[in-house]
Amino acid sequence: MTRASKRKSDNQTSAPVKTARVDSVRSASSKAAKKVEERIDELYKKYANQSSHMIDPEGVEALCSDLKVDCTDVRILVLAWKMNAQKQGYFTQDEWRRGLKTLKADTITKLKKALPELEKEASKSENFDEFYKYAFRYCLTEDNKKCLDLETGCILLQLVLGVQYQAQVDSFIKFLKSQSDYKVINMDQWTNFFRFCQEISFPDLNNYDTNEAWPLILDNFVDWTKRQENVANA
Amino acid sequence: MSSGQKKRNFQIEAFKHKVVVDPKYADKTWKILEHAIHEIYNHNASGLSFEELYRNAYNMVLHKFGEKLYSGLVSTMTFHLQTMSKSIEAAHGGSFLEELNSKWSDHNKALQMIRDILMYMDRTFIPSTHKTPVHELGLNLWRDNVVHSDKIQTRLLNTLLELILRERTGEVINRGLMRNIIKMLMDLGPSVYQEDFEKPFLEVSADFYRAESQEFIECSDCGDYLKKAERRLNEEIERVSHYLDVKSEAKITNVVEKEMIANHMLGLVHMENSGLVKMLLDDKFDDLGRMYNLFRRVSNGLSTIRDVMTSHIRDTGKQLVTDPEKSKNPVEFVECLLEKRDKYDKIISLAFGNDKTFQNALNSSFEYFINLNPRSPEYISLFVDDKLRKGLKGVKEEDIETILDKVMMLFRYLQEKDVFEKYYKQHLAKRLLSGKTVSDDAERSLIVKLKTECGYQFTSKLEGMFTDMKTSQDTMQGFYAAYGAELANGPTLVVQVLTTGSWPTQSSITCNLPSEMLSLCEKFRSFYLGTHTGRRLSWQTNMGTADLRATFGNGQKYELNVSTYQMCVLMLFNSSDSLNYREIEQATEIPSSDLKRCLQSLACVKGKNVLRKEPMSKDIGEDDAFSVNDKFTSKLRKVKIGTVVAQKESEPEKQETRQRVEEDRKPQIEAAIVRIMKSRRVLDHNNIIAEVTKQLQSRFLANPGEIKKRIESLIERDFLERDNADRRLYRYLA
Repeated sequence: MTRASKRKSDNQTSAPVKTARVDSVRSASSKAAKKVEERIDELYKKYANQSSHMIDPEGVEALCSDLKVDCTDVRILVLAWKMNAQKQGYFTQDEWRRGLKTLKADTITKLKKALPELEKEASKSENFDEFYKYAFRYCLTEDNKKCLDLETGCILLQLVLGVQYQAQVDSFIKFLKSQSDYKVINMDQWTNFFRFCQEISFPDLNNYDTNEAWPLILDNFVDWTKRQENVANA
Repeated sequence: MSSGQKKRNFQIEAFKHKVVVDPKYADKTWKILEHAIHEIYNHNASGLSFEELYRNAYNMVLHKFGEKLYSGLVSTMTFHLQTMSKSIEAAHGGSFLEELNSKWSDHNKALQMIRDILMYMDRTFIPSTHKTPVHELGLNLWRDNVVHSDKIQTRLLNTLLELILRERTGEVINRGLMRNIIKMLMDLGPSVYQEDFEKPFLEVSADFYRAESQEFIECSDCGDYLKKAERRLNEEIERVSHYLDVKSEAKITNVVEKEMIANHMLGLVHMENSGLVKMLLDDKFDDLGRMYNLFRRVSNGLSTIRDVMTSHIRDTGKQLVTDPEKSKNPVEFVECLLEKRDKYDKIISLAFGNDKTFQNALNSSFEYFINLNPRSPEYISLFVDDKLRKGLKGVKEEDIETILDKVMMLFRYLQEKDVFEKYYKQHLAKRLLSGKTVSDDAERSLIVKLKTECGYQFTSKLEGMFTDMKTSQDTMQGFYAAYGAELANGPTLVVQVLTTGSWPTQSSITCNLPSEMLSLCEKFRSFYLGTHTGRRLSWQTNMGTADLRATFGNGQKYELNVSTYQMCVLMLFNSSDSLNYREIEQATEIPSSDLKRCLQSLACVKGKNVLRKEPMSKDIGEDDAFSVNDKFTSKLRKVKIGTVVAQKESEPEKQETRQRVEEDRKPQIEAAIVRIMKSRRVLDHNNIIAEVTKQLQSRFLANPGEIKKRIESLIERDFLERDNADRRLYRYLA
């Protein structure tokens, strides 16, 4: 337990330091950039809570309505990924600056325009893996929590994989709801499901081998699918 | 002797006069020699002078008439041999071989003399002209003129084969004559023996045995057939030793083996009502031994026997362990296994020459079917329990050892040794606590055996139980030494202090003890905690026993040996005559299932019913009333009231034990995974499964699904991670 949290915190500290240094170099070189920065900060203040100086769930909701997207829209998740936001429903100033600056968006309109592009970026194969894992971590609302409850897991799965692998996701969610052995999903199961979608031919499952390293939950899923099929055939 | 003196050379001068050679000399001399040869062949050699003849031959060679001498010899000998051949041809029927034999010995004798006479030619002329030496020449001429003559060659072969056939069918033939004739063929050179005799002999034999084996197999059973085949084989070997070339033995036995065994192997093994299976069933050691020895001679012979035996053991074993009738009595179940094992042990040692491959086949078969019944570990432990409880009373020490050794052998076959350990612990605990172990030595001996088999971890807890027993004795002595005087009039208490963890886990449900006992127990508690601070004592009343002295209505006194629960119930009747079930339950707080069992054994067992129950029925109802049975009588003064216990575990108990076993396996699997990963750092999935299985083999057969689960659990707890690129690889995170 302790080990995991330590590693996570390492990531947290190292990433901002790096960007900060890059920022300082840029700001020195260009006054325009500084202007942009100011405008980004202004935008931040607009949504931030006055007392905690963070954008809290209320602020996020306001932002969503200004962007005219639903709170549960995948684009918000993508935005959070771009900002590398650590906590669901909250944006810190650092996260905000980092995200908006790379998007070159200093107004709501620009941000809105950038979103479709950003969504495309996330779904690119070289980024998607990272985004997929990020989505899981982002949804772990409490510290030291390592698993998503099934309900959240299903919603998230639908959100991030639903478009790409509709059939698999639907089937898997149906399976999860029908069984009682698992009440939560962990990171390992989460990442392996994505691999499963990528590697295993569906719905025939011909190249699935139970003796391989797949997590048990997927073995059970495959079993279940085959049984469903038999029932359907009978 | 001065060095200056000249040495004179000696010179030998040739004869001055020329030796006059008679031009007719050669012809004359040859005539003499030729005559001599005739005389020799005519058995008239006594008048000849060897010295003169030798000199003549010598002179002829010396005077360069060697060629004439040699060719003369060839033609003279040929002449005689042709005459001999004629007379052999003329011989009728049976006398043919005799004639051949006598002429052969004549020729040999003649040849001997001729060679002596012509020895000088043999020494000088023949080597320098590369001609055949006299003796060999004589043999060659004999071969060409006699043995290979048209009228003799086939007749000789047919006669020989005919005689052998007659001997095979039981007639007595002149073996000496046979030996001489065969010897002659061998003397004429290995190729003559092989071409003129051995090859056709083997062919004819093959035909003979092919036909005979066909006939045998149609009209005799497997055992008889094998006897016949064995006899035939021995006959052939004997024949070779009597009159054939030793080198023929391998060849002729090969023919018999092929025709009589190899060609009929499967037919024999599977022969209905008399084949291998039947022999195994009937313990036909002789027949089995014969089959083993005969089949060993042909390729795949032994593996054929082994395969049939293996599948037979597996089938019958499977029937045995899955037979629900047999499962009813665990002791009988194990006895059947042991019997089976003894049976095949005996077969392998008596009939199969203790063949290692057969022993392995036996072991693997047992391993296969014993584990088909998941309750085998429990039954084996129950068997031991039965033996160490009462079975060994009056049994000699060596016998105990043999029984235990046999049990260990079955134990070795178990895949789930940890399940055995669980049950063994339970049974041992019951034995120790009820004081029913018959022999402490036997108990310890088995533990030592288990330890050598599975390592000290396996038995450390079992040994802990023995230590507890010993310590408890000392503690009780100490207790009574300290308080003996003031406790003299009360009941006697014997406490066994059991270390938590060493003993099978018992849900610690206590009942209300009678007040006399309660105060005594408290006294012990304070005594014990006084010497061992920081410990906690809890009473396991469900495991104890008590001896009570009871006086019944007619003044009859008995000593009752009961369980602690039963004691609690009976003590209630000191103060009241009749109690109903609910009152008893309230007063004692014994769990209802235990209470029912305990009341059942007090009121419903004939001859031991110290309580009377209203209404009188077999089962205990919640509204039943109980009173002391005034009319209780027994022949014995000491009455042992057993509790109605199911010896075999009931279904829910079995499930519970199973679950405990599964729980215990989890940390062991995880430990194995971590051990392996710690040393390997990176390993792929299949190898981990294989290595973990191997490491745990001595205790149980790990289920791959369970190993997978444990790996996932370790991933979740960050001991391992999956490799980013290859998800089949695991990495150890230190």
